[in-house]
Amino acid sequence: MTAAAALSDIGSEQAQSVSVRIGAVRLSKRYGAVQANREITLSVSPGEIHAIVGENGAGKSTLMRMLQGIEQPDSGEIIVDDREVSFSSAQQAFEIGIGMVHQEFMLAPELTLLENLILGAEPVTRPLGMLSRLDWRSAIESGNKIASMTGVDIDWHRAAGGCPVHIQQFTEIIRLLRRGTRILILDEPTSVLAPRQVNDLFKLLRGLRDQGTTIVFISHKLREVMDLADFVTVLRGGEVRHSSKICATDMASIARHIIGEDPAGQPLIQNRKRRKESAEVLFEVTGLSSPSVAKSYPLDGVAFNIRRGEIVGLAGVSGNGQSELVECLVGLRPVSEGVIRYAGEDITNMPTGDRRSLGIGYVSSDRRQEGLAHHATIEVNVIAGSQRTAPICRNRLIDRRAMRNAARQRLGALSVLYDQLADAVSNLSGGNQQRLVFAREIAPNPGLLIVSQPTRGVDLKGIDAIHQLLGDYRDNGGSAFLVSEELSELLLISDRICVLAHGRIVGELDSEAADVAKLGELMLMRGRRHD
Amino acid sequence: MGFWRLASQQFGKGFGLAFPLLIAFLVAAAVLLVVGENPVEIFVLMASEAFGSDRRIAATLSAATPLLFTGTATAICFRSGVFNVGVEGAFVVAGLAAAYVGFALSPSFGVLLIPLGFTFAAIVAAFWLFIPGYLLAKFSVEEVVSTLMLNFVALGITGFLVNGPLLSELAGNNMTPEIHEQAELVRLMPPATLHAGFLVGLAIVIAYSLWTRLTPGGFESALVGHNKRFARAVGISIPATIILVMVISGVISGLGGASHALGQIHRFVEGFSPGYGFTGMAVALLGRNTSIGILLGAILFGALSSAGTTVQLFSDIPLDIVNVIEGTVMIFAVVELGRLTLPRWLRK
Repeated sequence: MTAAAALSDIGSEQAQSVSVRIGAVRLSKRYGAVQANREITLSVSPGEIHAIVGENGAGKSTLMRMLQGIEQPDSGEIIVDDREVSFSSAQQAFEIGIGMVHQEFMLAPELTLLENLILGAEPVTRPLGMLSRLDWRSAIESGNKIASMTGVDIDWHRAAGGCPVHIQQFTEIIRLLRRGTRILILDEPTSVLAPRQVNDLFKLLRGLRDQGTTIVFISHKLREVMDLADFVTVLRGGEVRHSSKICATDMASIARHIIGEDPAGQPLIQNRKRRKESAEVLFEVTGLSSPSVAKSYPLDGVAFNIRRGEIVGLAGVSGNGQSELVECLVGLRPVSEGVIRYAGEDITNMPTGDRRSLGIGYVSSDRRQEGLAHHATIEVNVIAGSQRTAPICRNRLIDRRAMRNAARQRLGALSVLYDQLADAVSNLSGGNQQRLVFAREIAPNPGLLIVSQPTRGVDLKGIDAIHQLLGDYRDNGGSAFLVSEELSELLLISDRICVLAHGRIVGELDSEAADVAKLGELMLMRGRRHD
Repeated sequence: MGFWRLASQQFGKGFGLAFPLLIAFLVAAAVLLVVGENPVEIFVLMASEAFGSDRRIAATLSAATPLLFTGTATAICFRSGVFNVGVEGAFVVAGLAAAYVGFALSPSFGVLLIPLGFTFAAIVAAFWLFIPGYLLAKFSVEEVVSTLMLNFVALGITGFLVNGPLLSELAGNNMTPEIHEQAELVRLMPPATLHAGFLVGLAIVIAYSLWTRLTPGGFESALVGHNKRFARAVGISIPATIILVMVISGVISGLGGASHALGQIHRFVEGFSPGYGFTGMAVALLGRNTSIGILLGAILFGALSSAGTTVQLFSDIPLDIVNVIEGTVMIFAVVELGRLTLPRWLRK
């Protein structure tokens, strides 16, 4: 199929003749114990922009993966053009006209945009097999035709890797359209874009919709949903909680459905502790900024403090700078501006090891890659970081017996279940692994624990134990900075909660005064970027 | 991959020597069958040539001596995830440095020449590998490329020196003067060439074992090898660790070069090392970077080498069959190398 033919398909009259371009009927999918999707019903009309919103783990990606043919549903049907279809591979879904733009672009960075554009479906002047000549002119024409919708001028001869991200994104979209995509699925398309670029993207997407392309996009940003979408579906806990025309709803009610606060309220969460923190500020961050990286917001003047004996929580929709902030606090990422003080000492540019010896512990959100050395033994994992301190290290030599004893004692204190100290840590279950991480971090008696997503991938019983542990630690005078995507967790164990949005602290609530709705409002609706 | 991995785990538990070795001998047997020889006969002959008498054992240990050093020098980097292939170059420059001390200083230093030669060689080789270590730690210059290239630089520099400024007046070309008698290492079983350098090599392997088990530096470098992100998060400095293991690797290579120059060759000649650095890589891989594995691996390759030179005197088979075995062992030792580099590919 030539590019021109592919393009003329877009918006052909057949688009009008169906009522559901893509949809699902009672679609379910289970991974082990987790019901990722439960009886999802979705219907997207031709030429509609449909937003799918929900928290992390709400089931958005599972749904998209099934619509794309990457995963097969356990039950239920996928509908394309009013007909039930089933895909055994992503290729089949692609052939039927479903194309996906991922958060990470699938371009070859060293090839030019034009080469990327035609890769896999090269137009030729005359089909002569191996001897065919590439038809560069028609390639450029096909690209420009779509690009012209946005008013953005694309220099097709630049290397993809050197282009601004939105140009790469456009190229990816145009590439899919050239190859016959009628249903475009975008996974958080604006997460990498600056505001101006977002405008260009929206112009392009509206233009495509007006020509008949159907667009499904996943987003965390309600403003953008209100701005762009015609229809919104809210997922929570793998189920559809809300589905409405945009004109018939408003941001606040969408936010409520995302957070899952139903009008009856959530009486379950009880603050189980009573704090007794002193007035002494142990940890203080002022005006913290960090250079930008792709995919996330830079930190922009973050300021907060933690008192002795206090747990300060950090709430925020993921990707708003949480992981960058944690890395700055721990010393894994350079700080461009601002000051971090611990117990009065300026630690802004201190290496991680020195911060640890001052008494700052760290529980990483990425247990697999950063929290543990997966192929190393249980003993090594639970001792790491203490290899230069007594009693494990004496006279600059490691005392093997003391090391073994310390390991046993640490593991025992947190009742980590294990067989042999010499077993690989990967043999442990997720909850046990996380307990091991806490055992390691708590053993040196840190003054401050920086804890990120402590209960991710941990079962209910394990979650309880970890909450108990953090509470006890705080009650014994420890301080903690707790980053979590689980609002209920933050409300349960923090004393104060800061809200991070777009790389800035947009609000701070005493946890007794906080509830899910207030936090949700801060997380989702404030903090528009100023450029 | 799954099969090989499983197979190598099954056969390779412990020292990891058995599996690549088995395959190597199967391949060699196939080659021997093709050329019309009885493989069993040849292997028995090789075994007796390697271990059949005191003199043959001495020859095997003598051939294993440089490998104890280069194997350990390589292992210390590999276990930290630093893929240093520059031990060969460090060994060569150190050999020249030690030989220089041995012939250029006054013989009146007496046996002091020996520690002086070892020390100077160790310093030169440590600096030699410090360069790629520093480049990797500070500027992320791929160590595979830099150390490989430095090997050629080492050959170039030493080649120039022994054909120019340091050329022996008594020799035509390619070599330095012979070192003073006082600088020579004692022979352990004369007339065999086995010399005191073997004991130094053993001491190095033991020291390596203690270092990995009993020092914070050894603990930390292993963690860096396991998972760099994890190591950083628990407060270990990756650049400092990289530079540390490269410098230690240089010191060990340097002691190896000195041992070979002062104990075996008694001077420096072009072609000083017939690839001891690279065979050392095979030793480290086969030995899974463990001290006992390095010891056995070095003796194995020493045996192949000493048997190879004599076995062709007593049979029709060419020396090349030994090279086939060595090559095959190295290829299958790389099964382990795949595991070494795996975390890098997974790095985001």
